[in-house]
Amino acid sequence: MSIKQQISESNNQVIIAIENNFDFSLHQHFREAYSHCNTPKTDFILDLSHTEYMDSSALGMILLLKDHADNLGGQVIIKKPSDTVNKILEIAQFHRLVTIEK
Amino acid sequence: MPFQKQKLDSKLALVVDDSKMQCMMLSVLLKEEGYEVITANDGACGVAKYIEYQPDLVLMDINMPIMNGYEAAKQIKNISQGSLAPLIFITSLDSDKAFIDSVEAGGDSILVRPFTPEVFKAKIKAIQRIGDLYTQVKNLQQEQQKDEELAEQLLNGVIGARNYALDKIGIVKKAAAIFSGDIQLSVLCPNGDIHVLLGDFTGHGLRSSIGAIPLTTTFRTMTNKGFSLLEIIKQINEQLYDLLPANLFLAASFVCVSSTHHSVYAFNAGLPDTYIYSNNGKIKHRIQSQHPPIGVLPQLLPHSRLDVYSVEEYDRIILISDGVIEARNKAKEMFGSERFEKVVSESDFSQNIAVLIMQSVNDFCQETEQEDDISIIDIPCNIFTENNVEDIFSQPYFDENYEENIDENSLAINMSTDHQIITANDVLSTPAIWKWQLLLSGSRLGTVNPIPIAMSQIQAIEGSGEHWHSLYTILTELFVNALDHGVLELSSALKNSPEGFVQYFNEREKRLEKLTSGYINIKLSYHLLASGGRMLIKIKDSGKGFAVLEKFKNNSLNFTQNNELSGRGLELVNQLTETLEYQDNGSLVEASYIWNQ
Repeated sequence: MSIKQQISESNNQVIIAIENNFDFSLHQHFREAYSHCNTPKTDFILDLSHTEYMDSSALGMILLLKDHADNLGGQVIIKKPSDTVNKILEIAQFHRLVTIEK
Repeated sequence: MPFQKQKLDSKLALVVDDSKMQCMMLSVLLKEEGYEVITANDGACGVAKYIEYQPDLVLMDINMPIMNGYEAAKQIKNISQGSLAPLIFITSLDSDKAFIDSVEAGGDSILVRPFTPEVFKAKIKAIQRIGDLYTQVKNLQQEQQKDEELAEQLLNGVIGARNYALDKIGIVKKAAAIFSGDIQLSVLCPNGDIHVLLGDFTGHGLRSSIGAIPLTTTFRTMTNKGFSLLEIIKQINEQLYDLLPANLFLAASFVCVSSTHHSVYAFNAGLPDTYIYSNNGKIKHRIQSQHPPIGVLPQLLPHSRLDVYSVEEYDRIILISDGVIEARNKAKEMFGSERFEKVVSESDFSQNIAVLIMQSVNDFCQETEQEDDISIIDIPCNIFTENNVEDIFSQPYFDENYEENIDENSLAINMSTDHQIITANDVLSTPAIWKWQLLLSGSRLGTVNPIPIAMSQIQAIEGSGEHWHSLYTILTELFVNALDHGVLELSSALKNSPEGFVQYFNEREKRLEKLTSGYINIKLSYHLLASGGRMLIKIKDSGKGFAVLEKFKNNSLNFTQNNELSGRGLELVNQLTETLEYQDNGSLVEASYIWNQ
């Protein structure tokens, strides 16, 4: 399993870490990692420091996560994307949509 | 006829055992379960009978003469690839090794003697259930494949087949599934420009092509109607945002190749860099993604605009989807942009570069399975050299008498020797059958393109036809002149160099954005002729006028030089109109356009 999820109730944070490949095969697991968190103002930290590759369907999944976060009044923060992953985020100009912390 | 029905329903089992006694016993049990049975007494004979009868179930002994059960099972599984005829080993070897070897050889199950008839029958039922499931899945798969192939044919017919200038623009695509999520479009604008789109929907396969039809329709229709590329992108973005779920979107690069200005307008939203190469293989411009993919945001980001690049005749514009960059070889290495750039720079520019890139990607990946759709578009910038628009400029067209027609305040030129010269009085003598007017002012000048509106009015009243293409060009050029030189007070002298052209464009954008005053009034009146008709066009702007006389004379001298970047628009209008007259220092222009049936 290449998704790790960590919830911290106190400061309304959900950390989702993705290892190796972030692609369509994770669709179900990825959704499950956030869909039950319905606390208002929850921030979702997406840790991509151990992600080696992501494809366009992963971008789609991030947008779904963003929708979810927006509905709760929280935000999505992408943390430490690797160079390869960052290149893909850059091409898609995702820094205009979500916060990316390098 | 119950007998025949039984025959159709009954299944065929093959029993392979060197003991005739065992064969008989198993046959009896199988027949009680509704099977017809054939038997073989060694492995080799079993394989032969399998080939001949294609049974639905195989029971296999392990220790047999000539060919043992493992080898026979291997051969049968080899032959039956793609269809599942369940194979059960029947053995008295009750060891872990026998069990493991059976599975290795391709056996689906193993049954160890001794067993009761009830256990045997239960085993047969269980294995048959798996066999039935397999058949169901296979049928569904085949049906899906057929549907996809049909849909793919239809889509290709709608999308690819109607592209413009397919003989000159190199388009290569290779789909990862039957369906490609990549879309390539090229469409001719009414003014002779070409709009090209390379799009990549999220994922691949059928679900990624849902947006293809609306995208294609909008892109073609709006281009045909004369909307600018940016207006089209705005519309497509809103459309896809409304239509598609949040995780489905379109990464795309849009290019407009101008037929008259040696320039290219581009917008990259989420695709890898689009390139402009000069013909010595050097990268002139790298057009980076500057916007999130289309359909992600409800509206384009504020201040989104096309970038303009000047190009020369032999330059090449190359668009690629991420499938090119991310194609992997056996060692999981990516093709990468460096390798891509190297391949292009070393390519023979007389060839279709898209094809060369594809070959090189194929060589790199060898037999590795393709993970994503791959698309490449190669647009040679000399695409217009055989085009009519360009031809106009290479013809000598000025009448010797033309200089004499000039007076201080107005300039009237009659270009067409085929028609009689029409004076204002002649025109007045045939009353207009309809009139139309649009006055745009202030900030609306920067946000509304009145030409498609005018064209759709004209076509709504008079019907569509080829002859309106020229009128479109006339209206566009005259309107743009009124806006640029009249209202915005831009000097066309800037446009005399390729760099200046870019500067001009940037300045224009800046002034348009800030525009709060000024107006342009467009009046059309249509007069019927014995065959065809005449459109009178009057465009008045709020500007101080621009040195049209000076400009016109200068331009007329320069027209034969193909490299001149400014003044072409007016000259083109001159060619297309019956009369063209500037008044009020250039802030009022009157033109008439005539067409014959």
